[in-house]
Amino acid sequence: MTELERYVAPTTLAAAIDCLKDGEVTILAGGTDLTPQTRAGRMRIKRTLMNIRRIPELKGIALDGGAIRIGALTTITEIMDSALIAKHLPVLVETCRHFASDQIRNAGTLGGNLCNASPAGDTAIPLLVLGASVELASKPEDKIYRRSIPLSEFFVGPGQTRRSLCELLTAVTVPLPAPGHVARFHKFGTRVGLDISTVSIGIGGTLKDGALAAARVAFGAVAATPLRAAQTEAALEGQRLDAAAIARIAAVARDEVHPIDDVRATAWYRKELIHNMTKRMLENVAQA
Amino acid sequence: MSPKHDIEFALNGIRQRVTVPATMNTLEMLRDVLGLTGTKYGCGEGECGACTIQVDGVSMNSCLMFAVDCDGRELTTIEGLANDTRADALRASFVEHGAVQCGFCTPGMVMQADHLLHKHPEPDAETIKAGIEGNICRCTGYKKIVDAIACVGCTNK
Amino acid sequence: MNVVAKKPRTIPESSLIGTRIPKMDAPEKASGRTRYIHDINLSGQLYGKILRSARVHARIVAIDTSAAKALPGVHVVLTAADVPDQRPIGVARDHFPLKGDRVRSQRDEIAAVAAESEEIAAAALKLIKVVYEDLPVIADPEDAIKPGAPLLHPAPAGAQPAGATVAHRGKADNIAMRFDYAHGDVVQGEAESDVVIEDTFKLHYVTHCCMGVSGMIAEFDASGSLLMYSNTQVPFLHKREFAEYLNMDPARVRIIQPPIGGGFGSKLDIYPFEVICLFLARAARRPVKLVFSREEEFLASPTRQPVLLTLRSGCKKDGTLTFRQVHTLHDNGAYTSWGATTPFVMMQTFSSLYRVPHCDYHTVAVYTNNPYAGSFRGYGNLQATFAIEQQMDEMAAAIGMDPLAFRLKNAQHTGEVTGQGMEFKSCGFTDCLNTAAQRSDFSRKFADNAAERNQPGHLKRGIGMASMLHVGGGAKIYPSDGCGTILKMDDFANVTLITGASEIGQGSETVLSQLVCEELGLPISALTVVNNDTAITPWDVGVHASRTTFIAGNSAIGAAKKAKTKILAVAAQKFGCTAEELDLRGGCVIKAADGEVVTELSKLIRNLHFSDKAELVMTTFYYEPPSVHQGKDYKGDVSAAYAWATQVVEVEVDTDTGIVRMLKVTGAHDVGRVLNRLGIEGQVEGGIVMGQGYALTENLMIENGVMKNPNFRDYKLITAPEIPEMDVSFIESMDGEGPQGAKGIGEAPAICIAAATANAIANATGVRLYDLPFTPERVYRALHGQTPKLYWKPWVPAA
Ligand SMILES: Cc1cc2nc3c(=O)[nH]c(=O)nc-3n(C[C@H](O)[C@H](O)[C@H](O)COP(=O)(O)OP(=O)(O)OC[C@H]3O[C@@H](n4cnc5c(N)ncnc54)[C@H](O)[C@@H]3O)c2cc1C
Ligand code: FES
Ligand code: FES
Repeated sequence: MTELERYVAPTTLAAAIDCLKDGEVTILAGGTDLTPQTRAGRMRIKRTLMNIRRIPELKGIALDGGAIRIGALTTITEIMDSALIAKHLPVLVETCRHFASDQIRNAGTLGGNLCNASPAGDTAIPLLVLGASVELASKPEDKIYRRSIPLSEFFVGPGQTRRSLCELLTAVTVPLPAPGHVARFHKFGTRVGLDISTVSIGIGGTLKDGALAAARVAFGAVAATPLRAAQTEAALEGQRLDAAAIARIAAVARDEVHPIDDVRATAWYRKELIHNMTKRMLENVAQA
Repeated sequence: MSPKHDIEFALNGIRQRVTVPATMNTLEMLRDVLGLTGTKYGCGEGECGACTIQVDGVSMNSCLMFAVDCDGRELTTIEGLANDTRADALRASFVEHGAVQCGFCTPGMVMQADHLLHKHPEPDAETIKAGIEGNICRCTGYKKIVDAIACVGCTNK
Repeated sequence: MNVVAKKPRTIPESSLIGTRIPKMDAPEKASGRTRYIHDINLSGQLYGKILRSARVHARIVAIDTSAAKALPGVHVVLTAADVPDQRPIGVARDHFPLKGDRVRSQRDEIAAVAAESEEIAAAALKLIKVVYEDLPVIADPEDAIKPGAPLLHPAPAGAQPAGATVAHRGKADNIAMRFDYAHGDVVQGEAESDVVIEDTFKLHYVTHCCMGVSGMIAEFDASGSLLMYSNTQVPFLHKREFAEYLNMDPARVRIIQPPIGGGFGSKLDIYPFEVICLFLARAARRPVKLVFSREEEFLASPTRQPVLLTLRSGCKKDGTLTFRQVHTLHDNGAYTSWGATTPFVMMQTFSSLYRVPHCDYHTVAVYTNNPYAGSFRGYGNLQATFAIEQQMDEMAAAIGMDPLAFRLKNAQHTGEVTGQGMEFKSCGFTDCLNTAAQRSDFSRKFADNAAERNQPGHLKRGIGMASMLHVGGGAKIYPSDGCGTILKMDDFANVTLITGASEIGQGSETVLSQLVCEELGLPISALTVVNNDTAITPWDVGVHASRTTFIAGNSAIGAAKKAKTKILAVAAQKFGCTAEELDLRGGCVIKAADGEVVTELSKLIRNLHFSDKAELVMTTFYYEPPSVHQGKDYKGDVSAAYAWATQVVEVEVDTDTGIVRMLKVTGAHDVGRVLNRLGIEGQVEGGIVMGQGYALTENLMIENGVMKNPNFRDYKLITAPEIPEMDVSFIESMDGEGPQGAKGIGEAPAICIAAATANAIANATGVRLYDLPFTPERVYRALHGQTPKLYWKPWVPAA
């Protein structure tokens, strides 16, 4: 077992990814996941602790061609307060409102939330619905290499992603939604304030004649990763959202998820919630 | 033992230079290294808000923040706020409204309330409640805390 | 202080009673200046930590501490073997601070370390190797009382001293305690009943969650005297007990109580960590500070008593209650703390909240491998009230009576003496019921909600009520229930009030100051309260049973009255009149008739000090309430006064999710008299929200003896966005014995909430829930017919 030997706080992206080459590096952003996890012994800090908060390139929200680019270090509060996001991606603002507490939103970053890869992580759900991609940077030789992968392919398991040890998540890009696009997010926790999701649901698509086209559905806390629900999407696609259709789609959703029992809820109850909340959200969309 | 690191930052307006282990959190640094015990330990996991301080003008849980990450930043703790006349009204309002019982949550609550009032100078009750959702109080039932913050908000009008 | 700056000719009458007075220590607390135990550090101090069991039930085969002892910075490592003179602790003396041969729960203390820093102490713990041999885990109290169940406390090997405790000689069954009470004849009562209802209720584990975790500092001086910094609520009794555990003279134990980060009953017993801290300090010959982490606080703190309870009650068609029969099974956990004794309070509620001619009450508290329960604000009354008040609604429905009318018909009145011997000298119960009902528009909403229950839509509204009776004038659980006061006045007419009553965050020092100022006509700023050092303060039996305002209040008034008599006598002599013609007001001696100032009090006292017959104004008083220490039949007037309350809870139930939102709580509390309105509101609001947590969100999950959620992430306390609107009224029944007519209410406000919530959910949905807490999943299951009716067949001892 290697012990922590070194703390670094690079100020440029290049220096940071250089450092990552070592492979034995723990990345620190807001620390809101890292601190409790390492203190509880669920995670170990590797040989180098690298604080990425001094890297300006990782910050900021910008409209970039047909997409919105959100830097990995953007805090949840910054997303919530961003006029740009409010205008184009209101569902993300809505999600951030239900995220933890003010103090944690002020410290926690989008990059940290995604890289932590908790099945109950909140931002992944609307981002999956919005078709977001993550940008990963590495420096195999002396040039910075960036690749982009769809968020739907990013998560592998609890705490595991397709990010290699030498890569840094630099940004999330979200294509501008088509006109008429609607998206909803619902988080179910047992209390209103500060809570981890028991289940969460994201639904989006372009609303035309009472039906959703290019429908996207994502569920949180019902599988090992935040989940794109292909069967539910198929059932939803192009269907007029009348009572019968909504009932049918909600039933598909319930059958599609295979959650587990834990201290927060049983699998049975999670499936019931997925059914009932999907139904309620679709009723709400139908009225939009 | 984890490697030690020299950091420099402003604490309640005074420059500080300290050496801290890389794994130490800011709460431990404040309490054990700098001897400022106004900031409280309630859970160490970001769940209770007793450790709330302000960093570069926004509130954070000092228990979740690595001490090394304080380098170059501006920290305000309850000791700083207690000496800041601009916060007199807030502290007085907590006292007058009965928002303090055992008082253990109070420093964190006051720090969070101060941040809230900066962001929303005239908050309504719902905004206040949402603003302090990360601060647990076991004694008061929150109502008097909400009233205390609202009352400062009123005079901001 | 110079009390009066300008000299008014006359001072009009005024009173502090009923006003809103901020807590005296609040400015310090709001500035972060208050030093709690966690904030105190003594030079040379070491840090203590405890190694707890990795198993729930096991024999300890071997412990190896050599590596820990060898770690640099480690001063002391202790196991049971290193402390051969350990004495058993706890209410039933059934365990040792450091466990030697056996561990019986997850919290069990096996070894302890004192080291230069917390990190070193923690590292040392990791180096201690323990070899266990697992024993069968008994996690269910129903299993524990079955004949032939494995024993939790079998007789240990080796000869045991005669008359030894459970810890020394073991116990031949798993029964920790039993309580059997009766008045009247329940068989006759049942025969007279038109309606009989029987239900089983299940009350869960919750814990205090004081925001300041437990901790203590111990130091022995050069001559071996002990100084402890401790947050005990019972300093004088504990002083003696600590001395016993250390085999030393109690006179050489001094306890200083720093401000406390929340109490709620949790500091009523002595816990292993405290005694272990003393062992460490004794062995290290250095001060030792031992403070819990939050996880440890969850694992090693007492819980509220979990209870399985079967209640059978009856009434006549006209609504008269006929009988009540109660059996409870208390999960005692591995050891016995105050939780096992909650029947003292529970039986009062069953026997005496309403007029019930025949009542039978039985509790059996059994040992299991679970955490052990202690005392917690309300002391069994939340559990008892949960059962009774649900059945009150059920019975009202069965005879077609309005729930309010049914309660009013059976409510106690002033002057009543109950079957248990409690005498209600002041009783505002009927006023509480009517006030809460009127202010919440109970009867109309109750009927409307029931009528709208089957309308479409997933949100259902409900309203429910519950009432409570609790001791409000102390409780004579020891032969004495008294409290001493020393009052001294300096030559600026400032008063130092030295009281035996500890302050545990409830605001007692402010109320006591107020009572004294009221007697002496002084502003509140003239008072300093000293209440935290056994070397200074006079005797008191401790903070519990909502007794401080009442008992310490009467004691403080007694001392103030004596001071006043003395001052007025001096003044009368000096100004050539009778004492009766004078009074104290606004920091002056005045003429009682018209308020005209005779002299400033400070001046008078200076005269007194500097006269040739110099005298001090210094008085003492000891107040012992006129209550009765109950006998073996649990009968007698145990408290000098009783507090009453009715709370109405309004909820909204989401039938799609099971989420219950608490919208509003309307409370009416018979408090005798409001002394400090600000303080009493705070107590009530805090209690309501604590009750809300008990009802809706808090749940300490124990599976097979293992705690699943020892953290705030999954043990959910109520946060600000969830609190209900609160409408609180105070009924002033002016208790004849109470200080200025007041009664104690510290525990009262949390008691009814869960019961009233259950009734409100039933009103909203038609579904009644018998087990707590009402988490969304539990409610959802019940609404969807997924919850089989609970039934526990009462246990009866083998003949
Ligand atoms: C009390 C509490 C409540 C919470 N509530 C919620 C909630 O409601 N919803 C929710 O989704 N989460 C919640 N969280 C989790 C956490 O706050 C979020 O996941 C947060 O966004 C993490 O961001 P961070 O910057 O603090 O991450 P860090 O803790 O700094 O890092 C998290 C992980 O990601 C890695 N990492 C960080 N940034 C990068 C990067 N750019 N590239 C590669 N790897 C990186 C780190 O190495 C680490 O493994 C809560 C946490 C706490 C303590
Ligand atoms: S101590 Fe930091 S949030 Fe509880
Ligand atoms: S005042 Fe005690 S926790 Fe808030």
